[in-house]
Amino acid sequence: MGLLSIIRKIKKKEKEMRILMVGLDNSGKTTIVLKINGEDTSVISPTLGFNIKTISYQKYTLNIWDVGGQKTIRSYWRNYFEQTDGLIWVVDSSDLRRLDDCKMELDNLLKEERLAGSSLLILANKQDIQGALTPEEIGKVLNLESMDKSRHWKIVGCSAYTGEGLLEGFDWLVQDIASRIYMLD
Amino acid sequence: MEDDEPSHEGFATETLDPALQKKHHDMLERLSARHQSLKSDSHDSSFSSSTLDSTSSFLSRFADSKRSVESRIAESRLASSSSADSSKVKSDLSDISLAIDNLEKLLAENSYFLPSYEVRSSLKAVSDLKQSLEILSGELIPKKKFSFKSKSSSRKPESKPAEIQKLNVISPPKLPVRDSPGFRNKHGETLVKSFKGSSIGEFTLSDLDSCQVKLMGTVNALFLHRLRNCSVYTGPVIGSILIDDVEDCVLVLASHQIRIHCARKSDFYLRVRSRPIVEDCNGVRFAPYCLDYEGIEEDLKTAGLEEETGNWANVDDFLWLRAVQSPNWSVLPEEDRVSSVSISGDGDY
Ligand SMILES: Nc1nc2c(ncn2[C@@H]2O[C@H](COP(=O)(O)OP(=O)(O)OP(=O)(O)O)[C@@H](O)[C@H]2O)c(=O)[nH]1
Ligand SMILES: [Mg+2]
Repeated sequence: MGLLSIIRKIKKKEKEMRILMVGLDNSGKTTIVLKINGEDTSVISPTLGFNIKTISYQKYTLNIWDVGGQKTIRSYWRNYFEQTDGLIWVVDSSDLRRLDDCKMELDNLLKEERLAGSSLLILANKQDIQGALTPEEIGKVLNLESMDKSRHWKIVGCSAYTGEGLLEGFDWLVQDIASRIYMLD
Repeated sequence: MEDDEPSHEGFATETLDPALQKKHHDMLERLSARHQSLKSDSHDSSFSSSTLDSTSSFLSRFADSKRSVESRIAESRLASSSSADSSKVKSDLSDISLAIDNLEKLLAENSYFLPSYEVRSSLKAVSDLKQSLEILSGELIPKKKFSFKSKSSSRKPESKPAEIQKLNVISPPKLPVRDSPGFRNKHGETLVKSFKGSSIGEFTLSDLDSCQVKLMGTVNALFLHRLRNCSVYTGPVIGSILIDDVEDCVLVLASHQIRIHCARKSDFYLRVRSRPIVEDCNGVRFAPYCLDYEGIEEDLKTAGLEEETGNWANVDDFLWLRAVQSPNWSVLPEEDRVSSVSISGDGDY
């Protein structure tokens, strides 16, 4: 009806993309956003609510919603599902013990109908840490191959410390969203 | 930004060509350098008088809108008892839903300067309103489920759920078993480890009872899980320490970030660059870091932790919404603190 399609139109014109970034606490979401935006990452506190960053990326404007992942506030994630073009799921590849939790939360998220149309980028973060699982191993644990066939997804190994892999991931996400939304005009 | 950054559209996906990698890397560095020089919009910046001003004006606007939504919910409930026609009810409900969305947007737009406690309580308020609205719509439109968002209802995937469930039943391949370095399942032992010259990145202490643990040197990540009646002394961690389920312990820790979950009756002596957080804790007390071993000064410097930030006392409790002191944690009175702890690598194994 009226409003939503109007919002959609405006978004198209401004080449804006709404990106929701979630994952367990301590996975490195805030560090990733600040790194990609070229900001200082040396003092970051755990996120109590959420941060929004608007950054220009290629010819698009990304609105990145970085929502805290501590257990108490995971229930707020669903407040941010609406209108999400791209979903980034961040994994701490060195946290072997909580991979089960990580899988469970991701599975729950993917059941969410409001996110059904969004592209999914999985960032296997902290690859700089000796002993971290590789993106392939993470992919196996999360059982990504069994995902619904209609979902566009990709997993990329990265490090928010060195910056490695971040652009590869964001490039894919932005291209994938662009080809779905804008090039249909 | 557009004009001075080459658009690298087109070679995005699979390519791992080293030249491109390099190009990406350079771009990241450039971005980083540029923003470093004008970093002033940090969302963590503490309040200046102008943000205080905006905080209070935000709060009064937020409170106004919140009250108006609440009264509209109450009105709709009343009106419905006098059997209003259903299309009117629906349009009222979607108006209210829209008002809540706007309230949320207001919060989102202002969240970067709001003190974290205001963000938390405002988030909670929005969430509560959504819930009341859901309840109301359940009461008013009991038969057909009312959907606030035209988007989700108009785009039903062709009965996928059954399939998804089936997939979930097939058990996923088991976790790759890999023994990450650490001390596990010990009772009544003294456990010593030096990271000097090792390439260890992450280290785990798990299922320890009545042990004394001494870790020297730096490491990237440290995980503590299920400790009872233990003393843990560690050199600086370049990254984060994640603690889950400890009881009757004394922990002397230094790290960029420290996250404490499910701790009971334990004392933490911390040096930390950001604010430590607790979740599901009680009876935990905090004091400044007090560890000494040969070479610790150098390790602290390497980790960027040579300075006492005072953050050991700036604890955020995720389960405590109010601005008054959380009852779950306290500052350890000076007379109850241990004096400096000295450890050495004797008995290293
Ligand atoms: N070694 C290493 N540490 C990282 C990396 N990314 C993040 N960290 C560290 O991991 C910790 C958690 O990072 P955050 O960015 O606060 O994590 P988050 O996902 O935003 O956490 P919440 O806000 O609680 O959801 C910090 O101590 C970071 O310094 C990485 O790529 N490598
Ligand atoms: Mg965060």
